[in-house]
Amino acid sequence: MKISVMTDILEANDRIATANREVFDKHRNLVINLMSSAGAGKTTLLERTSEALRSKLRLGVIAGDIETTRDSERLESHQLPVVQLTTGTACHLDGNMIASALPHLDLSQIDILIIENVGNLVCPAEFKVGEDYKVMILSVTEGDEKPLKYPLMFRESALLLINKIDLLQHTNFNLEEAKANARRINPDLEIMDISCTTGQGIEDWISWLIHRHQSKFGNKKRA
Amino acid sequence: MHEMGIAQSILDIAIAAAEKEGAQKITRVNVVAGELRGLVPLQFTFCFGLIAENTIASGAQLNLEITPVRGRCRKCDETFIVEDYRYICPKCQSEDVETIGGTELRLRDIEVV
Repeated sequence: MKISVMTDILEANDRIATANREVFDKHRNLVINLMSSAGAGKTTLLERTSEALRSKLRLGVIAGDIETTRDSERLESHQLPVVQLTTGTACHLDGNMIASALPHLDLSQIDILIIENVGNLVCPAEFKVGEDYKVMILSVTEGDEKPLKYPLMFRESALLLINKIDLLQHTNFNLEEAKANARRINPDLEIMDISCTTGQGIEDWISWLIHRHQSKFGNKKRA
Repeated sequence: MHEMGIAQSILDIAIAAAEKEGAQKITRVNVVAGELRGLVPLQFTFCFGLIAENTIASGAQLNLEITPVRGRCRKCDETFIVEDYRYICPKCQSEDVETIGGTELRLRDIEVV
């Protein structure tokens, strides 16, 4: 006997992500799901972002890591509200894990919440966590063919940060090729060249965050 | 390795659907996955077989139908299959193409006894 099912496989996760999103909206949080491969510079970008946003908007972080709490230790030294999720064997964060982190954060004291996903270019793109935008980092030490190898992540992202741009001349990374490949997958993708070491492009990234926060919530201060 | 997480979701949905119908055993599971999902069939069937052990889906055959990436031209409205991620309209050559298919991930049906 055949039983017709026609169920979206990620539906259960999407439902939880939608519930998370409602909580974030209620607290006026702009939520970014930050994704990249391991070592592309997610934690360093967060450190930079924390410094640059200070006195403008309040940042909070949920950091996913497979085993250690090193990322959150680095971030806590910046006096940021940080929750560390150790995922064990899981290679991505999902809606449920984020829901479990929420009681440990005072969302009313946060304007921008960045969810640092597990370093991996495949699985994180599959699972919504309740974010407003997916942002990904690709570093020039990886490879300009990455968009074609991991199309879903590039397709799902609103913004691509090409990091370690200061190292470009020491690599065989073809910047124009990488951008063309990324735009082939996602014509609407915004792209910025940045360096977390020299600070190049960080201002553009901060403006992007502030602009997105304003367009979501307007200029009004929190009541 | 997202195959494992997805296989687990499929198994959960399949078992729930079979139990609802009072079925004893699942013999086949038919899944539709868009090309953009990047599922590796061999890994996927391996993961599914592994986690299905000791459930009513033990030994079930997993059939994976991969659907192509489909695009729609924003200039002339032509819809077409996007091959090799070439997002170029075959009719008007515009590169302003949105993806309208290739990300689906669905459990279509199951066969039970």
